[in-house]
Amino acid sequence: METSRDDFVIAIRSAFLKKGTQQRFSLLSLIFFSIVFLILGSLNFKVIDYIKKGIKEIVYRSSFIVSGPENFLKDNYLIINNHFNLYEERIKNIDELNYLRSRNLSQQIITLENIKYKKLIDDYFIGNNETVAKVLIDKQSPFLRSVIINKGSKNNIELGMLVLNEGYLVGKIVEVNFFTSRALLISDINSKIPVSLQPGDIQAIMSGKDKQEGVLQYVKDKNLSDINEEKQVLTSGAGGVFKSGIPIGVIYADEDFAINLDRVVSFHKDFSQLKYVKVVSFSKENNLLDLSSKRNAQKIENEIEETNQQQETLKILLEQKQIADEIRIKIQKENDILRNESVRLKNEILLEKKNNQQNINQKGEIKFLEMNLVYGHKCRKSIFNRLYKVGTTEYKECVLNKGLKKIDE
Amino acid sequence: MNKINRNNIVHNLYRYIPITLLFVSVLNESDFSNLGLKYFSFNFSYILIFYYSLKKKESLGYIAIFIAGLFNDVVLGAPIGLSSLMYLILCVATSYLRNITLTPSLIKDGIFFLITILIINSLLFIILNFIFGFESNYYEQITSIIWTFLLYFLFSTMFDFFDHYFLGKNNVR
Repeated sequence: METSRDDFVIAIRSAFLKKGTQQRFSLLSLIFFSIVFLILGSLNFKVIDYIKKGIKEIVYRSSFIVSGPENFLKDNYLIINNHFNLYEERIKNIDELNYLRSRNLSQQIITLENIKYKKLIDDYFIGNNETVAKVLIDKQSPFLRSVIINKGSKNNIELGMLVLNEGYLVGKIVEVNFFTSRALLISDINSKIPVSLQPGDIQAIMSGKDKQEGVLQYVKDKNLSDINEEKQVLTSGAGGVFKSGIPIGVIYADEDFAINLDRVVSFHKDFSQLKYVKVVSFSKENNLLDLSSKRNAQKIENEIEETNQQQETLKILLEQKQIADEIRIKIQKENDILRNESVRLKNEILLEKKNNQQNINQKGEIKFLEMNLVYGHKCRKSIFNRLYKVGTTEYKECVLNKGLKKIDE
Repeated sequence: MNKINRNNIVHNLYRYIPITLLFVSVLNESDFSNLGLKYFSFNFSYILIFYYSLKKKESLGYIAIFIAGLFNDVVLGAPIGLSSLMYLILCVATSYLRNITLTPSLIKDGIFFLITILIINSLLFIILNFIFGFESNYYEQITSIIWTFLLYFLFSTMFDFFDHYFLGKNNVR
């Protein structure tokens, strides 16, 4: 037991420390170097950074040279293949050309309208730095799908710039050296892009999946699978990393779309066929004005401000008018109510007056009748006197005056 | 005399074939570990390094392997030093196997190779995922390991054949 353990230790020690013939370093020291490289590289240690950049410049060029024969064969194969398919492709292209010509005009109009509206909402970006670069290496690793291009910081390439191919999004710059750069393809699993699905304006995050496919990871609208129609996938511009509206791919509405939980995006471009790419950065449109234009702009601004103030005043006046109108209507309503009340009261008064008059008349009658009983005989005409006939006005007055004497008086 | 000279040239050229193959496989755009096929990929560098550091230690120097690892990291975009570390661990394994082996056998070598690449890929997966935050597909790794293991036997036989063809005859003469 002890012996086998000793053997194991001896074998391991020998494996790590024994240098072979013509070997300058033992394995242990080289492993140590590797670990140092890894640690210092991840800590962005300056010396390691310079060494890394140096190695990269050499390796990228060497790799381009080493891949030369293979690329030559690949290119020739493609040329021959294209040559055989030339006739079919020509007929297909003619049909497509006729179709596209008819669509071109309406597309131009839509583009112009789009620019106008984007300017209105201050979301119009213009390319301020465009560089065409050649793809040096297109080695697809299991960890990183990326391409190396032959333009670096010397050509004003910066981290985060977009990489396009024929207007389609290909990736973004993730590493910049002096003469070369690395672009992370959107097909890489680590690439996360905010996208918008049209029609429907559904927001999502897309990640790479395969050579030609991406996958929607986070979809804002959960009912995506219910909408059974083809969807265009564009950059949404959310987060400000990518300009909005760059085409990426399409989600086909096939039969199994409804149960397709992966939501696979088929890219427009074949990333394995990249030869030249355009590296661009975008910024918001910023018009440079001369002095007179600036004055005009200032004048217009002032006018706008004045108009705004006037508009504000007008708005206040309108509000005041509205309030006054409301008050007037309220007063009018109250007035109407009061008028009705007044009419009602007047009628009541008239009625009361009438009643009073009636009462007064009744009282007079009662008084007359009472006095008639007492003084009637003094005024009534009979055979023996020449007084008044009952029921006449003179008789009534006589009774009320308590007899004839009073009349004489 | 001419024949002897010619044989020496062939012999010398053959000596540099492993190292040339290693650097070409590392620098070349086409990579067997990512052929674009869903269930087929293998790591040719692992096979090459394992075979030649086990059978012909003098063909591939450790420094050359270390540099090839650095180049591989640069081309793949992986953290620099990672592939070197993996290649060197593979060399440690072969060195250990060489020390403990009395009678070489292809099957034993293959099984040892499988265990080694399992350890190496696990280590690689852990470092990439948990330290450097790279996302990688677990199933692709497994596929690559299985095919690398299976193809070791084929390549090992092929290398043996070439060895016999170029050097065997030479040694006899």
